[in-house]
Amino acid sequence: MRARRSMRLGGSLECALLWALALAPATAADILATSPTDLSVTVYRAPERGSGSIVLDALGGFALISETRTVHLPAGTSRLRFEGVADGIEPASVIVTGLPDGIIEKNREGALLSPSSLLGAALDKPVTLLRTDKKTGKLSRVAGTIRSDAGGGVVFATAEGIEALRCSGLAETFSFAGVTDLAATPTLSVQVRSAEPVTRTVTLSYLARGFDWAADYRATVSADGKTLDLGGWVTLANGNGVGFPAAHAQMVAGRVNRESGEVEPLDLGGAILAQCWPQGTTSDRAAILQMGLDSLTAGAGDFEMAKTARMAAPMALQAITAAAGKKVAQEQLGDLKLYRVPDRTTMASRQSKQVRLLDRTGIPVTLIYGADLAAGETRAPAAASRLLRTMNSRSNHLGLPLPSGHIAVFADRAGESLLLNESGVRDLAVDEELEINLGDAPDVQVTAAQVNHVNRVDISNARATQVRFELRLRLPEGGRVVHADRSMGTKSGRPIFRLTLPAHETVTLRYQTQPIGG
Amino acid sequence: MPIRLMLVGCLLWLPISFSSAAADRSLSVTIYTGDLALIQDRRDIEVKGGRQHIEFQDVSAQMGPETVSLTAADIGIVEQNFDFDLLTPAKLMEKALGQEITVVRVNPATGAETREKAEVLATNGGVVLKIGQRIEVLRDDGLPVRVIFDKVPENLRARPTLSVTVVGGHAGTRPATLSYLTPGLGWRADYVALYNEADSKIDVQGWVTLTNSSGVTYENAQTLLVAGSPTLVDGEGRPQNYYRVPQARPTLQQPGTESGSRERLGDYYLYPLAERTTIANLQTKQVSFLDVHDVPAEHGYEFRNRWLGTSETAQSAKTIYSFSTGTHAGLGDQLPAGVLRFYLRDKRGDPQFIGESRIDHTPMGSTLSLATGDAFDVKVRAVVDKRTHLGSADWQSDMRYELSNALPRPVTVKLLQDGLWGDSRITAESQKSTRRSADTAEWSVTVPANGKASVTASFDTRY
Repeated sequence: MRARRSMRLGGSLECALLWALALAPATAADILATSPTDLSVTVYRAPERGSGSIVLDALGGFALISETRTVHLPAGTSRLRFEGVADGIEPASVIVTGLPDGIIEKNREGALLSPSSLLGAALDKPVTLLRTDKKTGKLSRVAGTIRSDAGGGVVFATAEGIEALRCSGLAETFSFAGVTDLAATPTLSVQVRSAEPVTRTVTLSYLARGFDWAADYRATVSADGKTLDLGGWVTLANGNGVGFPAAHAQMVAGRVNRESGEVEPLDLGGAILAQCWPQGTTSDRAAILQMGLDSLTAGAGDFEMAKTARMAAPMALQAITAAAGKKVAQEQLGDLKLYRVPDRTTMASRQSKQVRLLDRTGIPVTLIYGADLAAGETRAPAAASRLLRTMNSRSNHLGLPLPSGHIAVFADRAGESLLLNESGVRDLAVDEELEINLGDAPDVQVTAAQVNHVNRVDISNARATQVRFELRLRLPEGGRVVHADRSMGTKSGRPIFRLTLPAHETVTLRYQTQPIGG
Repeated sequence: MPIRLMLVGCLLWLPISFSSAAADRSLSVTIYTGDLALIQDRRDIEVKGGRQHIEFQDVSAQMGPETVSLTAADIGIVEQNFDFDLLTPAKLMEKALGQEITVVRVNPATGAETREKAEVLATNGGVVLKIGQRIEVLRDDGLPVRVIFDKVPENLRARPTLSVTVVGGHAGTRPATLSYLTPGLGWRADYVALYNEADSKIDVQGWVTLTNSSGVTYENAQTLLVAGSPTLVDGEGRPQNYYRVPQARPTLQQPGTESGSRERLGDYYLYPLAERTTIANLQTKQVSFLDVHDVPAEHGYEFRNRWLGTSETAQSAKTIYSFSTGTHAGLGDQLPAGVLRFYLRDKRGDPQFIGESRIDHTPMGSTLSLATGDAFDVKVRAVVDKRTHLGSADWQSDMRYELSNALPRPVTVKLLQDGLWGDSRITAESQKSTRRSADTAEWSVTVPANGKASVTASFDTRY
């Protein structure tokens, strides 16, 4: 009996070897392109993010990656493989230039090597079942064939009969012989035909998800409140598992149209779920599954650990590099703005990096208090809002496109910088008005009431200086202001009263609208 | 010689059925754009004469069984079954109800095995066994027990399998064609357009992108792509263009009236792949179908304001590229639906992505106008200056559009005001408009370099 079994075992190994040979792709020469010799990464913002900050765990932007690689092609048809492309690659966007004659087709394999795909690939093929005695550590090998991996359970056949994997309470696993043509990462390949053996430098470009960038401004208001120093950082983040060493890095500002929805099929794989028959209990399936998990062998435990590690990985996106010194250079790209990081830089995997965007000093600003009221509104005393206003012009020491982002405003107090407020900035072209929100100002209170169809607004100023105040009204459909005791202007089609509030005084404004009450 | 012997031995390991390994198999795959494909699978079958069962593995797991047809000379089909009762441990135990199995108890201390025959009494929430005259619950004590079944029940399989019962005429091997429709295979076009700013021309490459998520690999298949999605009466499970978001902005400016040399089937254009190809499961495959250079293209701006749209801050105008698909100064081809990605060379000469736009099936000779994104430097602020109630249902709306341009060259913005349906009139305007439709008025506004322009208009409406 023992002799027979060992014969079977030997036979199965040879068979496995033959199978491995048969499994190898029967296509033409398989050529691997060299690692990239030159890299360029252009990062685009998440199109719908607005001025919010980036979330390092869920980067919604994307990047255009261009890699220069060298290939040696034999004459005839070859399958040229590119390894180490970003995990977030969008296969439909791949462009390969520099190849001779013609590309027959471009492929991206979506079936990745994982415990479950390995099992699926071994279906109906000979495998070896390893059973380890938990007490003695004695290992027994049984030749078998996997009959099914459907529905999360595994059924296999041996000389003894049909059995189910890990349903016996014994430590069981499969050992797969031979090689597999499943890849660890999504692999890109190109079927190409060449008349003669050639060596070429090819450029591979593609769009990849899992990148983003944001602009973060820091404004410091001078002691007299009349000028502002503005500094800015660009934060670039790569959430992919692939790094880009010594790359040319660029960022593109402005909203770019993306058509979303289609996601290419990809099987990220999973652990082998050895689900069993209702076993040893009368409770429901969840508990059964749990028991099944408990009886996993040490090897299966590793899968679990790997899974945990993968889940924990996003948290590790911390490596923040500040490449101080030189600033990014800006250039026009069609109707967008392109920022170039001056030197080659390494965008490591799961890394965020900061480069200097701008440093401007002595920007004249005006501090304005304001309130928004609906016509006829009655309002209990409420704090006015406060903002800094300036023009993005050359005469104001600005006059450069400002990509949208966060702006934090600081003021000095006895040599220390204190945060006043943080707000968002939208994409701002040259010669547009820049308004920086400073939050609420409790020293300036606005009270509104309506008496006998006359609207009355009281604005009090508790500050020791006079301040500029703007009150903007919202009128109903077809409404208009028929009478007001202060001069009125319009801004964005809405009535606006521009007032000066003397120190420690309350200013009262009265107005009437048509239709009455509106 | 020994190797051949070994091979024979190995083949004995395989269940005998018609699998993809057969050299006599010839596949042809026709893929439509709406997640639907017609598979024609030609294999040699061995007819024994009389009633017989034929199994087809490696068929799409998502196939519509009602669309299956098997044709071969001199056979009659009795019935066909698509079995998707999958072989799992739980099913195996369920099907063993009332039958005899072998249980092997393993002593956890010594590893000694005890074998017993048992009858499966029930599998409700736990397996109840009858061993001799005793009744036991399987693995109730948590101790290791192996269960061995004698065989796999007839119609439990690892993968969905099509089985056909036929009555054969004369015995012998003959070719049979199995054809069926399946979702899970789809294709669309992907275009790469490189715009040359210096001479306002584009180079366009077109690729067909095939995706296969049907669960099987189609080996060495002759592939035909059909630019169109046939209407299916029973659309359930085969959603057509379910990802398509209704597009607010029309991309087709002028439908074309030209016809090319492409093969057609009814009103569908056909794109046969030049060579046989293997469409692996979960693969994304791209094959080139279009490559044209130096097609004149126009770069412009567009801003569309909804009715009574008013904004506090200026909004970016859209960047528009338009070009023709005609033979004269155009792409000279009909374009299957897909996504067109635009690239532009930066100062260093490297192509950079500047946005993408979806297009529908486009006849040859059309004018396409595609938005790639927002222009950073060209902005429009639309303001409702005044709304005057003129009568019962009569309103006058005074609109002002302020356009700004931070580019060092003049630009022309196509300014559109929507929502003018009904008997609405423009009573006054600072610049002559054209009425594209009852709904939309259009101004073509030139904004000077680093400058501003403004348009005002008064609308007389009933709302």
